[in-house]
This record gives sequence, C-alpha cells and structure tokens, in this order.
Amino acid sequence: MVTLFELREGVGIVGWGVYIPIWRVRAVEIAKMWGFSEELTRSLWIEEKAVASEDEDTVTMGWYAAKVAIERGGIDPNHIGAIFVGTESKPYAVKPSATIIADALMDSNIKSASDIEFACRAGGEGIRNSIALVASGMTKYALVIGSDTAQANPGDVLELTASSGAAAYVIGPAQESVAVFEGSTVYVTDTPDFWRRDGSPYPQHGEIFTGEPAYFHHIVSAAKLLFKELGLKPSDFDYAVFHQPNGKFPLQVGRMLGFPKEKILPGIVTPWIGNTYNGSSLIGLAKVLEEAKPGSRILVVTFGSGAGSDAFSIIVKEGIEERVKRGPKVIDFLKRKKYVSYGEYAKNRRIITRIR
Amino acid sequence: MRNVYIVSASMIKVDRYFNKSYKELVLDALTKILDEGSVEHIDYTVVSTLLSDSILHQLDLSTVLTQHLGLNPIPSLRVETGESSGLTAIELGYSLIASGKADSVLVVGVEKLTEYPTNIINENYSKILDYEIETIRNISPPDYAALIMKEYMKRYRIKREELTIWPIKMHDNASRNPYAQLRFRVDRDKVLNSITIAEPIKLLDAFPVGDGSAIILLGSERTLRRSNSECMKVTYITSSTSQPIYLRDDILEFTALRKTFKTLQEGSRLDLEEALLEIHDSYSIYAYLILEELGIAPRGKAPNTVDKLNNVNLSGGLKARGHPFGATGIYQVAEAYSILSDRGLGELKYNGKYGLIHSMSGPDYNSRLCLIEKVM
Amino acid sequence: MRYSIPIFWRNKYSYYRLELTKCKKCGKVAFFRRSICPYCRSREVEVITSKGIGKVVTYTVSYFRGSTNLESYPRIIALIELSEGVKVIGELSDVKLEDIKEGMEVEAVLRRYSSDDPYGLIYYGIKFIPRVKK
Repeated sequence: MVTLFELREGVGIVGWGVYIPIWRVRAVEIAKMWGFSEELTRSLWIEEKAVASEDEDTVTMGWYAAKVAIERGGIDPNHIGAIFVGTESKPYAVKPSATIIADALMDSNIKSASDIEFACRAGGEGIRNSIALVASGMTKYALVIGSDTAQANPGDVLELTASSGAAAYVIGPAQESVAVFEGSTVYVTDTPDFWRRDGSPYPQHGEIFTGEPAYFHHIVSAAKLLFKELGLKPSDFDYAVFHQPNGKFPLQVGRMLGFPKEKILPGIVTPWIGNTYNGSSLIGLAKVLEEAKPGSRILVVTFGSGAGSDAFSIIVKEGIEERVKRGPKVIDFLKRKKYVSYGEYAKNRRIITRIR
Repeated sequence: MRNVYIVSASMIKVDRYFNKSYKELVLDALTKILDEGSVEHIDYTVVSTLLSDSILHQLDLSTVLTQHLGLNPIPSLRVETGESSGLTAIELGYSLIASGKADSVLVVGVEKLTEYPTNIINENYSKILDYEIETIRNISPPDYAALIMKEYMKRYRIKREELTIWPIKMHDNASRNPYAQLRFRVDRDKVLNSITIAEPIKLLDAFPVGDGSAIILLGSERTLRRSNSECMKVTYITSSTSQPIYLRDDILEFTALRKTFKTLQEGSRLDLEEALLEIHDSYSIYAYLILEELGIAPRGKAPNTVDKLNNVNLSGGLKARGHPFGATGIYQVAEAYSILSDRGLGELKYNGKYGLIHSMSGPDYNSRLCLIEKVM
Repeated sequence: MRYSIPIFWRNKYSYYRLELTKCKKCGKVAFFRRSICPYCRSREVEVITSKGIGKVVTYTVSYFRGSTNLESYPRIIALIELSEGVKVIGELSDVKLEDIKEGMEVEAVLRRYSSDDPYGLIYYGIKFIPRVKK
C-alpha cells in the first residue's frame, strides 16, 4: 500500500538548469542508414536528436546543468547537503558521478552523494528524496541531476530517438523557491519493458510491451493517484509535462488523462533533441518553468522502465521571471545546434568500436 | 679553468635501424675513434639519450653501455634536458675537463625512435612539456610551433608559401651530407602538399623520426698533444631556460636563447661573420626565430635571408639531417667540427674560425649554445 | 592501469575549475594552481578561480596523434586570454573547423581530457567552447 505524501508548503525549486550538446543528427539519416522508411520518423514525431561530443558524458553534461541551476538559484553551493545523479549511462559502473560533479562545483565535503538508477525516472526519484531531505530539515538545499548519454542498439528503432542531455534542480525551502511542490506521488511495479544487462553496451526492450503495460499504465496510475490525493483534475493544471521517449507518446498519454494538446506542447522537446532518458521530463519541466506565469500549476509525470512513475504538482510563484533570466534557457540550447553525419555521430558515441 | 679541446668526432648516418640496438649504433659510431687508438685514455663517459626509459626500457643506460663496450671501470653518467640533451652532455664533459676532474671524456649521443610506431614516440616526446599542465591536457610540442608560426605570419604579414624556403634549403644542404637521414630535394609544392601535423605546420616543416648515434671525444691540452688531431677548442658553452608559452608576454620571443647568446657574447670574442652555425630547426618556423634572435636577420625578415645563407646548417639541420633527440646536439658539434676541419665532412667544407652550435628543447623552454674555435 | 591516480587527483581542483595563481608580491597572475610565483619566486601566493570567460588569441588544428583516444582528433589547441587578463593554453570543443575565429568568445566547461580505455581512469578537466548565448 503506497502512502501518499502531501506537502503543506515547505519545499520547492530554487534554481534549475539544462545542458544539451550542440551536435545534432537528423532522424531520417538514421532511418536511411538502417533501412527504416522515412514515415517512421514522422509517426514517432522525431526530427533530430542531440549527440554528445566524444569528450562529453553524463558527468560533463550534468556538471553544466548543475552549474546553471546553482547560478540561477543564486545559492552558495556549499550549502548543498545532498547531490543525486539520476542516470543509466554512468561513466563508471562503480564510482559515483555525483562526487566528481560535486568536487568540481563545491568545496564542502559534508554531503550526501550518490548515483541513482531507475532507468529514465532516476532523476524523479532524486527529486522525491530531495523533497524529503529538505522538508525534514536534514539539508538546506539538495541538488538533483538527471543526465544521460542514452544508448540504443544500432539499427533498432530506439536509435532514432536515444540522445544526450541533462537537467539539474536545486531543491530548497519554499521561501527561497520560485516554484513549490504542492504534492507528489509515486507508482512502481516490476515490469520488465526495457533493460540493460550488466556489461551490455545497449539495452533490450519489448517494443509494443513498452507501451500500454509500461509507459501508459504507470504514468496514468501515478497521475490519477495525484489527482485523487490533491482533489485536482486536468482542468486545474495549466501545463502537463510527461516523460517523452518520442513526440507522440506524451500527447497520447495526456489525451488519455484528459489534457488538451495546448497544455502538453510547451513541455515537449524530444522531437528536436531526442530522448535524453533522465533529462527527458526534467528538460520539459525546465522549458515550462521558463515560460510559465506566477500562479500556474504544472503537472510533471516521469516514467522509468522497470517500471515506475513519479507525479508532481508544482505551483509557480512570483519572482520566477527574474530567476529565468539568470542563465541560459532550454530554448537557447534548442537554438544552439550544428549537424553531424551518421558516421560522426557513430564515432562520437563510440558505436564504432576500436581495440587498444 | 683549463682549456678543453675536441680530440675526435664520429657519427653514423641517421636512419631507421630496425636490425640494430642502441648498443650496436654506439659501437658503429665508436669505430672510428677506436681505430684511432684514443680509447685507452678515457676517464669518463657522458651519455645523452632522451626516450631510453620509455622506449628502450633501459635505466642507467650509461652504465649498461659502459659494461657492454668493455669500458668498465671507467665512470659514466647520463644527462637529459629534453631535446637539447646532446649539448648538455657536451657542457658536462667540458666541465669535467675544465675543472681538472678528467683529462679525456667520451661524450656519446644515442637515440632509437624506431622501436615503436610513431604514435607512441609522439606521446612520449610530448612529455618534454609540463606533464601536469600541458601533456595531460592534450597539448603537444608541434601545437606550440603552429601557434608561433601563425602569429609570425600575422605579425609580419608573411604568406605561408614564403616560409617553405627553410625546408627547401635544408634538404638541398643535406644532399651533400652523407650522414643525413633525408637526402632528397624538396620544392615549395612538396612542402605545402605534405601532411598537416598542426595547422599550418606541415610534415616537411618538421624533423623526421629516425635513429642515430654521434660521439665527441673531448680532451685536455695533454690529451690533445698525445693525439694527431687538429686543434679545435671548446671555447664557451652556456645555457638558459625560459617561461612556458602561456606565461610569455610575446610568443615570438625566444628569451632563453637571447639570454644564452648575450652571456656567450659577453664571455667570448665571437664574430658571427666568420662562424659556421648549426641551429635547432626542429620546426622551420623556429629556424627563422633563431636567426632573428641571433641577429643574423632583422625581425620578420629571416625568410628573405635563407637563400643566401652559406654558413648555417650545412648538415641539413634537424629538418633533413634528422633529429635523433638525445644524439642531435652531439651530431651538431661533430658536424661543425668536421666541416671546419681540413678534412671536411663529405663534400662539406667551410673556411671559418668559429663554430656556433645551438640546441634547444620545445619552443625554447631551454636553449644552449656551444662555441668551438679553430686554434692555430 | 596506464593512468596514475594521485598525479591527477591531487590537482583535481585545477583541472575541474580554471584555477589561477595570483602573486601577492609582484601582482602577476599565472595559469594553474601553484605554491610559488613563476615570475618572481615569491611563495606569498593565493589561488583564485577564473570566471571562465575568455577570447581566442590564436589556435591550431592539431593532427599530432598519440596512440589512444583516437576519436578525439583533430584537436583544436588554443591560446586563450581570460577576462582576468591572464593567458591559458587549452583545447577547444563544440566547434566545426570552419567556425573558429581568432578573437571569438569562449567559456570554460568540464569535459573529458582522455580515458585509459577500457578499464582505467577517466581524466576530466576544463576545455573551452564558444560562449553559450543567454
């Protein structure tokens, strides 16, 4: 039995930041390389995806997003008492990415730090943990990073969307926040829709099974639980941001829940940057925060294979516009792009392997 | 301080010797000196070799070499100052004799760069820079030469094609040096069409990778009289160090060379007009800067003077004679000595009183000058 | 294990952050964390962290290959003047060769320097990218 946790006021978002690599490869190029028909990219609504450079990884992208989040929040990074990196593309299977980013950005050694794994919702899990740490008074601020250089088996349909990107959130007291958590729920089951065995470079997935029993079931379940707990309905929300493995799914699940397209589109980024796995819904949320007016209510529902969803209700406060201005926005990163060929993308992402 | 003389000089052709070890290269170079019979009188061996630790997997190479050559119980040691190690070995041999500690010093330079593929030589050669601040951060020596070349072209408004004159001249000189590694001529197009190392540095702007060994026998007055050699004195030898590139106010200034040259001029009566020069042209752009720093050409004008130069790098320089790192400085001294001597070096001969040898490491991270003088 | 642990780890703040050393005696600032001024030899120095903004003074496209991390070539090596007035040498990233201009504004970012693949350490450190517009 899942106990729902409703917050009265305590905790919110003090600062946020994203990082999206500059390089893009067009989805039709990937489709052509592997013999998919071009219509497939349209049906998934994927135009191009972000490709991390050979010198980028989960740590470097997470670092940039975190740096923006800290500057945007205007906080002393040494008051961050916990740092979570949600990722499924850790550069080291054993050795936390969190401590590398922490030592690059902070001096204090007194903090909780760990990498979290729950496929694409690890960042969401980090936010849940952070809310608890802040609300309990165990820490003033917590830094949550969702960062991935997403993997997909070359030639698999997943390769059309698997991309690289990061988002970071400084969670802190409501008085310092420009968006507060009204409530949150979580819904997890053992559902093996998508996994990656230890030592495997690429994941496997159940294709159609990743849909109804996984993505849709968990997002709808978590969202409905949240509506029930907070006594809210879709019309009470101004925005709905969902985990977005492609451009179509979030529109579909939003429709299932009763949201009109207009409330979902602002939070959709995947068609232009691909599925950044742990960056996915968190980059979408950042984009919405950068345009939402004070008083707006935002629904964010994550999804991670394996499987589970977090649902958050976030209320935007006065003062958000000023904080938006303090750093590069999602749309700045969407505009910052240069194209590479399939070959350059394959080399950068080490799909072409070499021996030493 | 006693006088120090060059008693004998010997070298082997710079080449790729897959079938010879460093011991055999030294033995080949030593042959001439052995045949002259001066070996019984050696008090000390100074060895110069740069990459022996990493590439030859040999520490204390001077001792192992001494054991192999049957020179024991003679003491020996190895010096290393990057690319200028050879001239440092001469400096040390000189000091041993000048101070009275030895009468006869065998200065041996040896390098084997063909034991591994070039990629591996490249990454070890990059360790002449600061490993923590430069090498580990992916900076390599040709990168600095490239930045300097770009700045030179910009400041003096010189076109890229005008800077090909140095390799052309060096290859022409080397065609007359039987010991040079590259003895084919090149032209402007060959240089400009060669592989880019670090833009705008081309392959034919830079030294080739090869193996070599050169030996100088230094001696006191007493040793010289016992031999039948021409009288050539090591008059002055000095060196200096400079700042890393990113700490320099002007990256076109070689302040270590400047300081070294000033010290040498103050301590000797050198007349450059009567001198034969061997300068450290690891990259062609460095040759121009060195010529300007030595006052042979005004700033920005060195490329114009190269064609008429008849007393600089007659050996073909590092560009065409080759640059077997640790041995290079000793090659340079051996060449100057031989070319100035009555015998000459192959077709090469020069009627002059002085030989000025310049060796440096990286972009003038350290620079060394050695002045030798024909004594009547 | 080809890469040393302590050689990198003890300098990590200099690699992860753009550290400069300011001399209290002669006033000069030099790139990298140091305990002695490379200009005047004074040991009264303080370490400061650069804001990370600079301009490209000059650069080269380097094809000089080592034997590892071959996906990283060519490398762009640039002499950069930071807003603090001090020069640093570093690598540029996120650029296509035709887009690099002398004088272009750059910012310092954390990237991989190299990695002892497949099982060894990853060395992270500051490189420079074209300034991200706000």
